[in-house]
Amino acid sequence: MAATPLPLEVINLKKRFGDNEVLKGLSLKAHKGDVISMIGASGSGKSTFLRCMNLLEQPNEGELIVHGESIDFKQTRRGREPANWRQVERIRAKLSMVFQSFNLWAHMTLLENVVEAPIHVLGKPKKEALEHGRALLDRVGLLERADYYPTQMSGGQQQRGAIARALAMEPEVMLFDEPTSALDPELVGDVLKVMRDLAEEGRTMIVVTHEMSFARDVSNQVIYLHQGVIEEAGAPAEVLENPQSDRLRQFLAPKF
Amino acid sequence: MQQLNAWFTDLLAGNEIFTANTLGYYADGLATTVQLVFLSLIIGLLLAVPMAIGRGSSRPWIKWPIFFYTYVFRGTPLLIQLYIIYYGVVFVEGIQDTWLWLILEEPFYPALIAFTLNTAAYTTEIFRGAIKATNKGEIEAARAYGMSRAKMMRRIILPSAFRRALPAYGNEVIFMLHASAIASVVTIMDLTGAARFVYARFYAPFDAFLFVAAIYLCLTFGILYLFRYLEKRLLAHLRPQN
Amino acid sequence: MIDLQGYGPRLLEGALVTIELALLSLLVSVILGLLTASAKMSRSWLAHRIATLYTTLIRGVPDLVLMMLFFFGGQIGINMATDWLYYQFDVDIFINIDEFVAGVATIGLIFGAYMGETFRGAFMAVDNGQIEAARAYGMSESLMFRRVRFPQMMRHALPGLSNNWMVLLKTTALVSVIGLTDMVRVAEEAAKATHEPFTFLIPVAVVYLVIASLSEWFFARLQKRYDVGFGGEECNN
Repeated sequence: MAATPLPLEVINLKKRFGDNEVLKGLSLKAHKGDVISMIGASGSGKSTFLRCMNLLEQPNEGELIVHGESIDFKQTRRGREPANWRQVERIRAKLSMVFQSFNLWAHMTLLENVVEAPIHVLGKPKKEALEHGRALLDRVGLLERADYYPTQMSGGQQQRGAIARALAMEPEVMLFDEPTSALDPELVGDVLKVMRDLAEEGRTMIVVTHEMSFARDVSNQVIYLHQGVIEEAGAPAEVLENPQSDRLRQFLAPKF
Repeated sequence: MQQLNAWFTDLLAGNEIFTANTLGYYADGLATTVQLVFLSLIIGLLLAVPMAIGRGSSRPWIKWPIFFYTYVFRGTPLLIQLYIIYYGVVFVEGIQDTWLWLILEEPFYPALIAFTLNTAAYTTEIFRGAIKATNKGEIEAARAYGMSRAKMMRRIILPSAFRRALPAYGNEVIFMLHASAIASVVTIMDLTGAARFVYARFYAPFDAFLFVAAIYLCLTFGILYLFRYLEKRLLAHLRPQN
Repeated sequence: MIDLQGYGPRLLEGALVTIELALLSLLVSVILGLLTASAKMSRSWLAHRIATLYTTLIRGVPDLVLMMLFFFGGQIGINMATDWLYYQFDVDIFINIDEFVAGVATIGLIFGAYMGETFRGAFMAVDNGQIEAARAYGMSESLMFRRVRFPQMMRHALPGLSNNWMVLLKTTALVSVIGLTDMVRVAEEAAKATHEPFTFLIPVAVVYLVIASLSEWFFARLQKRYDVGFGGEECNN
């Protein structure tokens, strides 16, 4: 049978910084429509793991398979590197990332930010990209801000704009790196709502987050990382309501 | 118009120094200065962009020669650079027999070469600083969206660096305008050359040099306002909107 | 070694002229710069206006033009003044402008304007709370200036000061044009006389480079001293 390939599969990924092994053999399978929340204390390696998925960090070992295409690596003097950067670029375009600090391009308006990569990386016709971009801005409630520059918007608006930029790539998987951590508490809700809508729409998402309510209510899989190891994984009801390890119990305990 | 003309002729008639003739020298000088400065800035800019990129390269055989070049040209007086090129061209044996001499015979070209190399060195460092100051997150976003290095440089890093470099580059343009006054030292009749000529002829330093100072002042203010306008337009993204 | 064809001693003398000229001009420009900065921050409307006019005019006109104006115009101006004194009061004096003095005065005057901007910026960068703290602890104005404001001001002024010095050093080359025998002038004469431009001009360029490099090193050390207590990252602004 011709099974449709998984959007993203990671097998036994390891990452070292010098002698310090921060990811100790992590595997993950994202099926279409999965929303996977990665939780864990700071320093647990969850952000590094996410950044290895689109090769912003180079994993020292392990396999990455995006939509059935395995990334080739080669051994160089400096260590393991992707064998073919063209391939990496192509694969990155299928995995849009949303950053903690938004990272919108400051010299472009919001709409220019959204259409930049579709036009110049995917080669979409300009007119089509602009049309699509406006529609996406409308979706995240920012159409009237299309011609504003990033510094002229609030953090919440910038992050919703960044999500529109990610959507414009029509990605296979969306990677969220603590998307609400840099926001003022009163702005978090709008961003989470947009993410919730995306989940309901059937997008494949991997989210590094501290928002336990999001992990519980929106995701269908929760991964708890501790010191570079997946300590617990499963449905949110299992993992969050019935933690097996003391560490996770402690992590989930209300803090005073 | 005719009235104005008559008024102007009257004004000139009552003046021994600023006759139509000497004003003609100043006008030619202005043209020469503007040409010299404009050409050296344009060519210097074209040289500086690739050098600024190369200066940040990780390959030592690209990085160090560019560093050495900017260090030497920024560390020595422009006058010396001008002398070396001007006399180097005049006195180097054999050069007068080649086709190059057709160009280099005119002092304009050695001066243009010296000015171009000088401003290219300063501009390289200005751009280098601006490129280095690019927000790391914005670069990361470009990488995450699948841009190649070249595309990232062209679409993200350079456009944002150019904007950031604008105020410093404006200073460099004014600096070049002022520095171009030394062209008169190698017999070029630029603005300062015209002033020196008028001074020598009438022995009237105040008239000759104050007049030319006023012209330079106007040019300086013109450049200043041009760059202020450009900054207002191109740096709009850095101003929070209230 | 390079054959300097007998120009060696004169080149050395020229180098000394360059260095003396640069250092004395620096002194004049720092004094003028401090005066300008105080004038710009003073409450006196007139002082403020004069200082602004001074910095604007100087920074809008090429150094060489100013130099020629002061040098060629200066002598005539002084002659006119002494003539006037003679006719009016029968005072007979004759002042001949010395080229070296004219050079120092001109370069000092030019860079005083740049230094003024540097000092003003540095003055304003000092945290007002600390000045208030000094007052609150009963320091007199002069003690406060010496112990609190000045050391902190220097930290902010040093990058600009160092930059101005580098430009000033290179500007001294221009005095060769108005007839002062610095090393550039000697090298140029030698180049013309011997038809060997590189033999003389390149060593002179190297001397400038060496002075610039030494200054850079010196200012970096000075900056380190004044940066005490401010962490490493802050100093590169």
